[in-house]
Amino acid sequence: MIDAIANFLTAGPFDEFVATNDWVWPLCEILHFFGMALLIGSVGLVDARMLGIGKGIPIKSLERFVPLGVIGFCINVITGLLFVAGNPVGGPQEYLTNLALQLKMLCVLIAGVNVLLFYALGIAKAANAVGPSGDAPMSAKIVAVVSLILWFGVIYFGRFIMYNDTLLYAWGL
Amino acid sequence: MIDAIENSAYAIWVRESPSIWAFTTILSLHAMGLAIIVGINTMIALRLLGYVPGIPVASLRKLYPWMYVGFTINAFSGLSLLAANLSNDSHNPMFLMKLSLIALAMINLELTRAKVFDDPLVVNGTGVPAAAKRFAMASLVLWTLAIIAGRLSEYPSFVQAWLGITPIGQ
Repeated sequence: MIDAIANFLTAGPFDEFVATNDWVWPLCEILHFFGMALLIGSVGLVDARMLGIGKGIPIKSLERFVPLGVIGFCINVITGLLFVAGNPVGGPQEYLTNLALQLKMLCVLIAGVNVLLFYALGIAKAANAVGPSGDAPMSAKIVAVVSLILWFGVIYFGRFIMYNDTLLYAWGL
Repeated sequence: MIDAIENSAYAIWVRESPSIWAFTTILSLHAMGLAIIVGINTMIALRLLGYVPGIPVASLRKLYPWMYVGFTINAFSGLSLLAANLSNDSHNPMFLMKLSLIALAMINLELTRAKVFDDPLVVNGTGVPAAAKRFAMASLVLWTLAIIAGRLSEYPSFVQAWLGITPIGQ
């Protein structure tokens, strides 16, 4: 599967584009940080409110920030794919076999399932029905805790990608 | 002085320890703190600019302590990373620019508290002072520039080639 993804990412002009333009990498990093702040600022705030932080802020209104988080997420998927495709040391293979990156992607995947469950199981609807100073239902609190742990996990392991050896050393791998 | 800090036991631990809790975790914390303070401040700014009017402006005041959680995480992690790399960072123009922009963003944050959140219009829930939009725009611009400068501080050769800005005092 790693080979298939690596081949896919290097089939287009993208790896070449990143390699031959020295401004692409720093620009993508700046955008990747913007995307991160948008995601945590929107989704993270909804999570925090469902956990009881900032009572007085209506959950229903706060949720209108979530599309900004989706925009941030999309920015980060695009810039993230450019990082993997254009990795100057070892190419996509090096990143796709990187434990920190794999754990980051695992966190993203579970966070995605968590979001789906939030809407599909009617938890979002129940949380939206809560008054501005009300207490969110337990199901919403569980979704919120899982969401916060996973998105901060994404940031945590994301920063370890460049220092994967530290992770391998710590876990005796 | 710079050497003494950089060669202190703590700075050496941050820089050289193979422990998972040393350099890389501190670096991760720094990104998390950024996401917390910039993320929350961005949403507050957007509300002050008129986006999502369903949120009572006064209720957002409760988020100030949480922005300071982000700031505290980053003051601690930032000073740790700085101690570990002080001789380089102190000559890095983009890093110094970033610190200045953060200082301005924090001053703006407190001015927003004093001039917007303490305003009777907001406290009584009857409106928002006209200056709110200016503070909101300032926070968006300052944090955006701070992130740009912070990221570029990691690419001194790129900054030199494209912007012609060279390390200070070298």
